[in-house]
Amino acid sequence: MSSSPAHALHLTERETPAIAAEPAPTVEPVHSPVTIAVLAARWFRLNKSRLRATLIGALSLVAFLILWHLLTKYRVVFFVRFTNVPSPLAVYESFTTAIHDPKFLMHVSLSCRRIIFGFSLAALVAVPLGLVMGRFKLIHETVFPVAEVLRPIPAIAWVPMAIMLWPTNEQSIVFITFLGSFFPILVNTLHGMVLVDPVLVRAARCLGAKEASIFREVYFPASLPHIFTGLTVGMGVAWVSLIAAEMISGQYGIGYFTWEAYSLVQYADIALGMIAIGVLGLTSSVLIRSAGRLAMPWGRT
Amino acid sequence: MSLVEAKAGEGHIEVKNFALSYETIDGSVAAVTNTQIHVKPGEFVSIVGPSGCGKSTLLNAVAGFLKPTAGTVTVDGEEVKGPSAERGMVFQQYSLFPWKTVQENVEFGLKMRCMDRSRRDRAARTLLGLAGLEAFGKHYPDRLSGGMKQRVGIVRALATGPKVLLLDEPFGALDAQTRVIMQQILNNMWQRLKISVLFVTHDIDEAIFLSDRVYCMTARPGSIKAEVPIPLERPRQQSMMMSSEFLALKRGLMSLIREESLKAMGGEISDQGLQGLNIDLHGQSLAEIL
Repeated sequence: MSSSPAHALHLTERETPAIAAEPAPTVEPVHSPVTIAVLAARWFRLNKSRLRATLIGALSLVAFLILWHLLTKYRVVFFVRFTNVPSPLAVYESFTTAIHDPKFLMHVSLSCRRIIFGFSLAALVAVPLGLVMGRFKLIHETVFPVAEVLRPIPAIAWVPMAIMLWPTNEQSIVFITFLGSFFPILVNTLHGMVLVDPVLVRAARCLGAKEASIFREVYFPASLPHIFTGLTVGMGVAWVSLIAAEMISGQYGIGYFTWEAYSLVQYADIALGMIAIGVLGLTSSVLIRSAGRLAMPWGRT
Repeated sequence: MSLVEAKAGEGHIEVKNFALSYETIDGSVAAVTNTQIHVKPGEFVSIVGPSGCGKSTLLNAVAGFLKPTAGTVTVDGEEVKGPSAERGMVFQQYSLFPWKTVQENVEFGLKMRCMDRSRRDRAARTLLGLAGLEAFGKHYPDRLSGGMKQRVGIVRALATGPKVLLLDEPFGALDAQTRVIMQQILNNMWQRLKISVLFVTHDIDEAIFLSDRVYCMTARPGSIKAEVPIPLERPRQQSMMMSSEFLALKRGLMSLIREESLKAMGGEISDQGLQGLNIDLHGQSLAEIL
């Protein structure tokens, strides 16, 4: 009797090093002191493919800028007309003046505020709704048909309706942003709930978990990867909807800035507005992705 | 060790006149009929049978996931009404929570019982030590091998101090070498904890090596075809699997299951049909014939 547990341990110890997923740190016998040159060479070897990707990416961007510059410098007209398109240098120039211009910064910050309100509201409503729809059949049966009817309507198509619905212009723009991100978040959350492995739910039940704990400890974390997919997609659509809404009905906002630049024949500002929108969209998706990594430390990246 | 050691005399499983059928569009289909099994306190009992015979169905009914259409399932005289922490279960697919570390997985049942953090932590460490996994508490399950995952699965089920342990083909997804080691580990754990075990498998060697008794089920609809006591002495060693006593038991069980497996295949293959694999090609290659 007393020998058997020892036997078990012996067996497991023998098994673990061979199977352990995490490679043990390689302890090479160090003969010569590790110099900085050796370390640098090692680092280079390990990061070779990443360096390569960065280098090629940078070259590709530079090539794009040069092409843009040449097309505008020679005012190429070949089906597409580059006659009035601003050159990269002109755009850079208007950028340097714009960042000191409080009006431009006001446009940017207003757009950001609309996104934060619209998107956060959408997430606060769509995620819990998707979770309860996935868990309770009656709620699913009630809400799903309505959601399916409204979902194919693009948020921009809501502009006239939104102007009628909301007392201020600002509210209707936030509403459009909300609508744009709402459905991708809802649908993905629901999808995540459907895909929860039923064996995990059974395992939780066997360990004494009741309904509320199962929801909190199994359904919610199991759906998180899909929820974050929904948030990423939703953020993209939120920007699309916001810019369109600002162009149509707005005063202020980076979408309005871009449209106004066209009306005022300030062509460099059009490109500046576009680039600003791109940078803002990229930043917000990076933020969501890092939030996802923080919320799901178990996932591999 | 008092934490997980079963109380003496507890964990008596009794399945009486059990039947379970599913409703389909063509009427009800019997999965298991007229089945009686029992597991005495501290006994290790296996159920073997051809695939689809309803052995997992039976186990799921003992766990409380399925309701019998007829008959009763009781543990220590109390009727099973739904899943509970009194009946620990280990699944073939490991079913560890991927978002919890190994330690948190093991603590889960205790957390559900509102045990405070420090006691939970101590209990989980002890259990992980028992499975030789003390160094892996902070890892997430996807970093572990299959054998390690299933060891976590077993200690997680044991953490709540269940009266019985139910295992549904727990080593079915493991490679042959890991499997043998896992059988030895389970055998040693059981020897130490004296808990009642109901073990479902299709591996006859595994069933004989681990069990006090083996139930052999018929093809669908499943019922008990034979009950085979395993009189091999304990503690058991891998070397016993070569003994004549072991091989005799294996031969007996294999012929029982073979009959049922052929039946389960619906007579598509007769014993003669199986010999058809030795077709005489008269020296020609297959390509020439075709």
